[in-house]
Amino acid sequence: MSNTPKQITLQEWDQRYEQLQRAGMHQPDYGGPLGRHVEDGDYRLLKLRYDNSAAALRLWNFLLTEEQRLYQARTRGKKIVGTMKDLGTVPVMAYSLDNLVAFYPDGAWWIPCVMELSAGLLSIADSLGIDESFCPVRAMLGAFVTGAHFPIPDLLTCSVGATCDDFSAIAQRLNSLGYPILWWEIPHRRSPEHNEPAVKLPGGFSAPKCQVEFVKSQLELVKTALEELAGESLDEKKLSAGIQKANQVRAYLAELRQLAFTAKVCPLPALEMLVAEMLAIHFCSDRDETVIVLKELVGEVRSRVKAGKGVLAADAARIFWVNPVADLQVMNLLEDCGGRICGTEYLFSHALDTIPEDLPPTEALARIALADPMVGSSVDRAERICTDIRRFGSEAVLLSRIPGASHCALEGEVITEVVQANVDIPVLEIEVPPVTDSIRPTLRTRLEALVETVIERRKR
Amino acid sequence: MKTIIYTCPYVPAEWIAAHGLRPSRIIPDAAGSTGPVVPIEGVCPYVRGFVNEVITGTQASAVVVTTVCDQMRRAFDIVVRKGKLAAFLMNVPSTWQSVAAQKLYLDELKRLGRFLIGLGGESPSTDALVKIMLEYDTARTSILAARGYLTSRRYSEAIARFNRDGKSGITRDITDKKPLTDGIPLLIIGGPLLREDFEILDVVENSGGRIVLDATETGERGMCAKFDRRRLRDDPLMELANAYFGGIQDAFRRPNSELYNWLKREIAARGARGIVFHRYVWCDIWHAELRRLKDCIDLPVLDIDTAGDNETYKHRTENRIRVFLEMLQ
Ligand code: SF4
Ligand code: SF4
Repeated sequence: MSNTPKQITLQEWDQRYEQLQRAGMHQPDYGGPLGRHVEDGDYRLLKLRYDNSAAALRLWNFLLTEEQRLYQARTRGKKIVGTMKDLGTVPVMAYSLDNLVAFYPDGAWWIPCVMELSAGLLSIADSLGIDESFCPVRAMLGAFVTGAHFPIPDLLTCSVGATCDDFSAIAQRLNSLGYPILWWEIPHRRSPEHNEPAVKLPGGFSAPKCQVEFVKSQLELVKTALEELAGESLDEKKLSAGIQKANQVRAYLAELRQLAFTAKVCPLPALEMLVAEMLAIHFCSDRDETVIVLKELVGEVRSRVKAGKGVLAADAARIFWVNPVADLQVMNLLEDCGGRICGTEYLFSHALDTIPEDLPPTEALARIALADPMVGSSVDRAERICTDIRRFGSEAVLLSRIPGASHCALEGEVITEVVQANVDIPVLEIEVPPVTDSIRPTLRTRLEALVETVIERRKR
Repeated sequence: MKTIIYTCPYVPAEWIAAHGLRPSRIIPDAAGSTGPVVPIEGVCPYVRGFVNEVITGTQASAVVVTTVCDQMRRAFDIVVRKGKLAAFLMNVPSTWQSVAAQKLYLDELKRLGRFLIGLGGESPSTDALVKIMLEYDTARTSILAARGYLTSRRYSEAIARFNRDGKSGITRDITDKKPLTDGIPLLIIGGPLLREDFEILDVVENSGGRIVLDATETGERGMCAKFDRRRLRDDPLMELANAYFGGIQDAFRRPNSELYNWLKREIAARGARGIVFHRYVWCDIWHAELRRLKDCIDLPVLDIDTAGDNETYKHRTENRIRVFLEMLQ
């Protein structure tokens, strides 16, 4: 059996699965051939290309069985928390309590893509007055109304203040449909004023101490609600242990990113990297399993890097990707066009930063929440992107606009200007809807042009 | 005297005036296709009009922007990068039920005060603040008393003029006038109006309607609550914060149930028979409220979505208002 790393189709995975089975591959209880998920309506899977490792299989199976996992958790008596618009803070708290499971209802963002619009969630959102002028996260409304994609949570929290208008408005609409929401606030992160006590945040930003204190007070509200739901107190010891576990996940992801983005030959495709990064947000509803999945993936990538093996050509253009893509297939498309991902800012870089372990735990979480690149100015976000561009040696930036997103229209220009001024590399802005089939030729031309520009610049 | 411009109703004019500076809540023009921010898909026309006015205008010394919506928050980045004015971004919390949120707003007022002093303003004495608050309160009372005596447009423009210049000049307008009672009573609700949008109020009247409640951000909804005279003398800044942060209901608040409670009370008091819902394309905050408004208020609703500067939109709006009023006849 050949273990040469490569990207394969879903059909090819069936055969590969058999080979791995025969070779004695160990599988968790959610394992199985990837193709079975198409029966659940995940038609987009038929059009993607996947990494052929057993570790990637486990990653995909883990991702695609989240719904079952949530229902099983409920059957086992666990309480379910839907943590909306908060990328990687409240889940750390929730998973510190034994009988809570947290998930991220905003993840419904990808359902229209994965199910190729067949689930009808966008039409339901339309019927509730949330049309295509909103970002694809509107699919979440449909998911709540149908109850078909995740169990209705026992507690819903939503971070507001410095969030996008899309989500804030949609969450309010959800609330008006009879879903109670615990709103908590993260203020817009500002620079500390002259002589104002300041705090350095994970990831490099700084904020006034009073803002950290404020977010701390908000997290205390959330903590109380979680404790009531769990019927158990969330003391510092438990929360600190939860932070350590979250940091284990983040440490694997840090290593994975460093290896994947800096290796001579790209060891893991963009799509698998995107899925792996997303695990940091809410651990795909099973924190312990997330650690195992990432450990395997890191192991695979380590051995590939050591052997100098990878999935793409060694001269692939090194692209830094900004914002997640609504259509996953576009990640494959970039690779088809001769690019590879070397750096990402998928709106949640703070969920990849190490949470300080030498601080009182709520303070540490307040700092990480305020480190969210989206709660500060677009200039801050652009500067963080520049830092990572230098670190990973990216040769161009691809800004993928999210249709309807309130932050995209004005931030693109700022990010472009800051990147060009600071690191002088080309920036391309594209818009990616949930299903790109009709605009694929245009997208391809633009991505090819970017790759060609990068190759040309190497000759300078 | 230095002028400080802003557009958000949560910025208290009294606080700026008490620092010896001139507050001016501007109403931007619908910026055409020129200006630093060109029409781009996704940008609210009001944000565009505001940014272009701030960047190209030369009259003011500084601008205050708030965080009530993401687009404005991001517009601040553009104002800072492309404009010449000193700029201040004020955090106005979306949540409002906790003491922490109320304190945050109060702290932001104090921070704004430091910014104003940095611009050459003076630290206000309690007496000066009380005096200014009383003046503004009296002016607001006189404007509110004129409701029903002025045409819809003149009334809304009187509010806008007061916001811009701090003067009401209203008593002169209503002397010897009888209240206006003709026309089907309507309310208009939504975000702020651009200067050109005030024409809608004329269209309503010319089509047989009468606005009994301007619940746009530029209208009565964007006015703070009346000050409590006793609390005002005890702690004027706190009373200012209460009247603004606690008194202005808006769609961006979480939850925004108080907006609906306020609306229901006002509809009952004023006998409105229909609602003109005014929103800008790409404004998620108001757009998301449209269906809910239809569901929870038992009145016909006319949805007016506008791009701000577009003749086609204008004609379509006029026709739709006419048809709406015919239906209500
Ligand atoms: S993609 Fe952007 S607009 Fe949509 S929910 Fe996420 S942050 Fe908000
Ligand atoms: S109209 Fe809407 S998008 Fe525009 S400034 Fe107001 S709240 Fe923001």
